[in-house]
Amino acid sequence: MTLRDVARKDFTAARRSRGLWAVMTLLGLLTTLIAFGFSGYRLGPAETVIAIFRTMGGMFGLLLPIVALVASYMAIAGERESGGVKFLLGLPNSRRDVFLGKLASRLGVVTVGVAFMFTTATVMAVARNGALPLGVVAGLFAVSLLYTAVFVAVAVALSAIVAQRSRAIAAAVGSYFVLVMLYVIPGVSVALVVRFVHQTLLGFEPNVDLYNAVLYTSPLIAYRKAMNLVVPAQFERRVLQRASEGDVLPAYLGDEVSLLVFAVWLAVPLALGYWRFEGADL
Amino acid sequence: MGAIRTNGLTKRFGDVVAVDDLDLTIEEGEVFGFLGPNGAGKSTTINLLLDFIRPTEGSVEVLGRDAQTNPEAIRERVGVLPEGYGFDDPLTGREYLSWAIRTKRADDDAEELLELVGLTDAADRLAGDYSKGMQQRLAFAIALVDDPDLLILDEPSTGLDPNGIQQLRDIVRQRADQGTTVFFSSHILSEVEAVSDRVGVMNEGELVAVDTIEGLRESAGGHATLHLDCATPPGDMGVDALAGVAGTSIEDRTLVVDCTEPAAKVDVVTHVAERATVEDIRSETVSLEALFNDLTGGGRDDARAPEEVPQ
Repeated sequence: MTLRDVARKDFTAARRSRGLWAVMTLLGLLTTLIAFGFSGYRLGPAETVIAIFRTMGGMFGLLLPIVALVASYMAIAGERESGGVKFLLGLPNSRRDVFLGKLASRLGVVTVGVAFMFTTATVMAVARNGALPLGVVAGLFAVSLLYTAVFVAVAVALSAIVAQRSRAIAAAVGSYFVLVMLYVIPGVSVALVVRFVHQTLLGFEPNVDLYNAVLYTSPLIAYRKAMNLVVPAQFERRVLQRASEGDVLPAYLGDEVSLLVFAVWLAVPLALGYWRFEGADL
Repeated sequence: MGAIRTNGLTKRFGDVVAVDDLDLTIEEGEVFGFLGPNGAGKSTTINLLLDFIRPTEGSVEVLGRDAQTNPEAIRERVGVLPEGYGFDDPLTGREYLSWAIRTKRADDDAEELLELVGLTDAADRLAGDYSKGMQQRLAFAIALVDDPDLLILDEPSTGLDPNGIQQLRDIVRQRADQGTTVFFSSHILSEVEAVSDRVGVMNEGELVAVDTIEGLRESAGGHATLHLDCATPPGDMGVDALAGVAGTSIEDRTLVVDCTEPAAKVDVVTHVAERATVEDIRSETVSLEALFNDLTGGGRDDARAPEEVPQ
């Protein structure tokens, strides 16, 4: 098993990247500022801290995918373009070692990054409010890490499929657009498209649950739902629309399903990426 | 068992046939020079051996194992100097080498290998900042890690200065004497000639010759041209009729004889000396270079007829 050697070399290289340190510093500053500037309305200290992280969670939904994609989009494509892969595979590494080693290393990089953002925010939030709701913060950290890991998986998989930097960039931008932006821009959102096709083109009766189910395939929506799992009830947010007030969401739209959505987004891209890399002419 | 054995190996990239039905066997312990002009299919063949790319048809065996079934097991025993590599990670030369040693679970001393390839002074600089020649030395050091049973070197002298080429040759020769099989490609004949036990010549994806250097020379037909300077302009002395003589011509006082067999030269000289005063004799053997040019159509660019060359 030489996976560890591949990962270790890649991680050492990442640690020396000045760009990565710069981005980390900026993100740490950003979360510190949010934690500093937040003022809760009639909330106790612990509630205020939770509210701070809840607010940050909204921003993380858009930000963490960018962090993950930037950290991973060149993981394998870069080695193929530069010829580094010839050394990786000239030594006793299998393609699986290279693929999984790169994945492990990039997961390590984003883990450090997300941990840093949470640490700076926590330090500032605790300093300002004097309370540390550890369980909630840890839970949000775990969910955020899982969400980031989804995009690392997507980026590493795409990186294994394309052979050039330019295409890797296009694939990373494209995946951000398809997986995140399409669900948040008003006007071009997936929800409207599905509703239009279903009702106007196909002439069916409106079916809010169906539209919700389609929305729920997005990791972003899943992340918003997953955060509900780890915060106290009063901080839970209604992510999906209901047909009428008081309606109960069907089980397949429950908050727990978000974990399944994450699992699928982790497994399917990785399987596809590995399969294509295994068969590729390098 | 051969160190490398290919069987009907074919690789097509779209319409282009890069390697065409290649049958090649490299015996254990030999130094095999893989010769051919740019684009002849040498690197493609090497990439197929290393499972960097997959054959369209045919099979490859390296050290008795199928190249695709278990490439890691082959890589354990092979040292590779690939072409088109890059040192793009911000690691020093020493770190790259240490990584290779660790990955191979070898017990080599990085310092010794760096010393061997002449990189001791540059060991702590980033490999990405090295000159092409220094990168080539580092790549060669990586190939030497764990004293492999088979060295596969793709254009190893690329970017090296004459001194570096000499060092490379010495190391290759020395490893070969210790029993390492060496398979290396080159487009420069003199390089292959200096170290190889056997030579294979590729052209446009096909193997056009496999032989020892001596064998190749012989297959050049022992062709030689004799120049006999005579005291007076030589007349017709019946040299044409001698066995092994392809033709004669007279230039001023010089008789030029084209021999097809080495043995014919002595006969010609004796024959002429009996009939005229010979002042000087010069003999030109057809060089391996000429043979190589012959086999490969003078390289890729010259292979096409002039009217086909786009203007």
